[in-house]
Amino acid sequence: MKIVASGVLIASGVLLIGYWMAPVRAQQTGAQPATSQGNAQSLTPPPAYTPLPKGVRPAEDTPTEREALAKWKAKAEQQTDADRKTFNTAVTTSYNFHYGVKNPFTPGNVQVQGEGFLQPGAFPTAEYCGTCHQEAYSQWRQALHSNAFRTPFYRTSVNILIRDKTRGIAFARHCDSCHNPIGVLGAALTEDSKVDRARFDADGLTCTTCHSVVGLDSTNGNASIKMGVPAVIVDENGERIPGEVPFSMILRHPERHSKAVMHDFLHTPEFCAACHKANLPSPLNDYKFVRAFTAYDEWQQSKFSQRNPLSFYTADFTTCQGCHMKRNPTTLPEYGAKNGTFVSHRWLAGNTAVPFYYGFDQQLNKTIEFLRSGDYLNVDIFGLKKAGSDDLVAPLGRASYSLGANDVVEAFVVIQNKNIGHSLIPEVRDLYEAWVEFTVTDSSGKEIYHSGFLKPDGMLEPRAHSFTNRPVTNEGDFVDNHKVWTIHSVAYDNTVPAGRSVLVRYQFRLPAYVTGAVTVNAKVNYRHLRQSYLNNIFGKDHPAYPIVELASRSCVLKIGENQPESPDPADNPDWMRWNNLGIALLDQFQYAEAVQAFTEVIKLRPLYVEGYTNVGLTEISWEKYGSARTAIRRALSLDPNSARALYYDGLLQRRVGNTEQEIADFRKVVEMFPQSRDGRRELGITYYQQHNNVAALEQFQALQQIDPDDLAAHYNLSILYRRMGKPKEAAIEQAAFVEKKVDPGAPTYSLNFLRLHPEISNESVPWHMHSDLQTEGGATANGR
Amino acid sequence: MAGRLIANDRFLRAVGQLAVALCIFALPGSARAANNCPWINEATVSGLLDGQAVGSFIQGPVGQPSTCNFVFKPAGGVRMFTISVETVQDAHARVMSMAKGCKEPQEVLPAIGNEAYVCTTEHGKEAVAERVVGRVRDQVFTILISTTGKGDLILSPQDLKSRISIASEQVSGNLF
Repeated sequence: MKIVASGVLIASGVLLIGYWMAPVRAQQTGAQPATSQGNAQSLTPPPAYTPLPKGVRPAEDTPTEREALAKWKAKAEQQTDADRKTFNTAVTTSYNFHYGVKNPFTPGNVQVQGEGFLQPGAFPTAEYCGTCHQEAYSQWRQALHSNAFRTPFYRTSVNILIRDKTRGIAFARHCDSCHNPIGVLGAALTEDSKVDRARFDADGLTCTTCHSVVGLDSTNGNASIKMGVPAVIVDENGERIPGEVPFSMILRHPERHSKAVMHDFLHTPEFCAACHKANLPSPLNDYKFVRAFTAYDEWQQSKFSQRNPLSFYTADFTTCQGCHMKRNPTTLPEYGAKNGTFVSHRWLAGNTAVPFYYGFDQQLNKTIEFLRSGDYLNVDIFGLKKAGSDDLVAPLGRASYSLGANDVVEAFVVIQNKNIGHSLIPEVRDLYEAWVEFTVTDSSGKEIYHSGFLKPDGMLEPRAHSFTNRPVTNEGDFVDNHKVWTIHSVAYDNTVPAGRSVLVRYQFRLPAYVTGAVTVNAKVNYRHLRQSYLNNIFGKDHPAYPIVELASRSCVLKIGENQPESPDPADNPDWMRWNNLGIALLDQFQYAEAVQAFTEVIKLRPLYVEGYTNVGLTEISWEKYGSARTAIRRALSLDPNSARALYYDGLLQRRVGNTEQEIADFRKVVEMFPQSRDGRRELGITYYQQHNNVAALEQFQALQQIDPDDLAAHYNLSILYRRMGKPKEAAIEQAAFVEKKVDPGAPTYSLNFLRLHPEISNESVPWHMHSDLQTEGGATANGR
Repeated sequence: MAGRLIANDRFLRAVGQLAVALCIFALPGSARAANNCPWINEATVSGLLDGQAVGSFIQGPVGQPSTCNFVFKPAGGVRMFTISVETVQDAHARVMSMAKGCKEPQEVLPAIGNEAYVCTTEHGKEAVAERVVGRVRDQVFTILISTTGKGDLILSPQDLKSRISIASEQVSGNLF
């Protein structure tokens, strides 16, 4: 037994010495360019590996092995450093340091360990990783991250910036910091690039970009990460060994491999925030800070973060990874698998365009399956109103009513963003297209009314209700081709925040001939990307891109008497249907109707605390503080520890000057929800008003930790620092406030756009109707 | 018409381009056109040709193609990389016409531009060449990689296909 063990140790020692002797050239120069259509079949078979039984630690290294490893490490470090110096010498002289020598990657926020640029060859290739992680590789190859740079959808946008006469490729570092970080760090983004781009362009975010990140700078986004010199293993002291190493070295010490590539922050939403939060900084647009998107903040404000006491509903804590990186059984060799499962490296989400373009059918089908799963959206044909009557027949299916030929009917469709951890639609929502298609058909299937159809040229009809926004330039022109640096305002944003609902109203006339019944159908469709943007990319002669039906609901309306029916088990319960209507009405500033809807919730669930709180918050928005107080008191009598009710009580206590209770309320909120930005902000304001500078400072600093862009924090901190004799800090906060606050002139640009586009200007009005009925003067109700 | 001629006479064209490139290569450095090829950089072509390529860009007059020519001259032969880009009205028809003129059946190159085809495969004794025709919107592009090295181990027929595929993605990406 001893002899066998000694033999193994000697063999290991020889092997490690062999590593040291072996040239390390490969890790510095990178392998041959990756095949863009690659799959697991193109990989070399994985080396033999038998995991150690659970709880058994790998054998300690012998002194000989340690010595060999130390020599390997020294050689690898020396080679990496030498290569980096040579590389920097070669690229620096011709590099465009547009933002100064100290800011080579601006306007992106990415930073790198060590001095200067990092040679692309320092990043081990995906094929190297894929040898042992074939499941991950095959998924990644079809996923958005590997295709983050090369797709026509991205290239068209970034090329416009590169070709812009007053900007150019240096400005594209803003985009490529997330889409092609190896290119940015590797000095490829300059006019006279000396870098072989075939080595990394096709791989976008390769394995060793995410897995080489050594720190998160902030939650500011725009690639706010610190990239380490890529390493796939650490030594026995936890020190990183740069570059590729023989697989046997990893398989002997998989725990050291994990330590090098699996940082805890990879599991957190803050890691995703590094790129799934973006702003347009003044170095890019020569204007001012403009928020581009922030899926991270939307998640933080959703029920899934459990950080926001003010969400309408509650849920189990779920991170970005919890939805987009679910564990699945493996089908290919995967040495990172646990119990035969592995976290998805497909990052399934909403992009159907990329797999469609590349012919990645598996990714496309799984994306569609993902979009339709999860009970993410609920479509509710909630109620009807007949012309000439204020009575709302609701919830539809649970109330009796009658319909007749020639009736003009108004349908209330409530779309609930039920279980998405961000808005519908998130991120660059001007490029995506999600809309409501609403149809009314007679008993023979003949169309009576149709909203949200596609025109023959593939364009969505402008009158459709779509969950989009309209960024505009300072001339009031729609930024149709994603020239983000020209965005000065947003004419409207009709996306639905996480956990909220929207009410979409349709008006139609039942024809004189109609008998029997009519069928009403409402569905939410989704297309990635909108047709006009696809036309920008390919011209008009491209194939039709997939349209996915995300959710839908149908109901049959009898001509004549309609009686209540049993509840649809697939639909929300009645109380929730009313609650969603109330939320939608609140967001449309229809306070009286919202209170009525929330009151219906209370009738159905008298002990539901949130019903009273919802009435209270609506009354506060309506400035009816007396009745708001009654509702909030009732909520607190049912649950004295309701953070949500306490928050609104704090606001009401402030109104009447009861500062002691106001502080007590807000303090309780932040004790229960330390990362509540609203709680911190209001408590900070209370302390500020009490001239308790130290306590106020503490709250605003905590708020800034949660949201580095919070305007109230910048504003109040600038004053507090000045009062405390810290002019430098005060100046920084003051500058940040001025930079980030909304340009007061911006609404003018939006109005210019809306004035020029009456066909969709109604969409900017929260409370609007979709109708094709003629009004006096021949116009339809939506102004067409 | 021009497209058909090019397609039908592709190998002669390749040789012609090679001659032009050799002339350029033979010029003193100061006389060479600047390396400002808008569709691919010299370093990337050098990677594809496995050696230090020297390139030039010639902006075509209105209605004529613009071209980038890169040459690497290892011992025993010349490796060449040429791109030609032209804006035409019916780009799809032009590409189809060029593809039909291929000596061998063309092969679709998926996910390159709006459409692209591996059009010419010249595996003669004196030279090996691979060609792609494709388009991005109304911009028709032709890419040619060739070597005169007999039994060139780097640009073997098998390897050429992979290299021209990578080149096509670079070029079409910059044309979007």
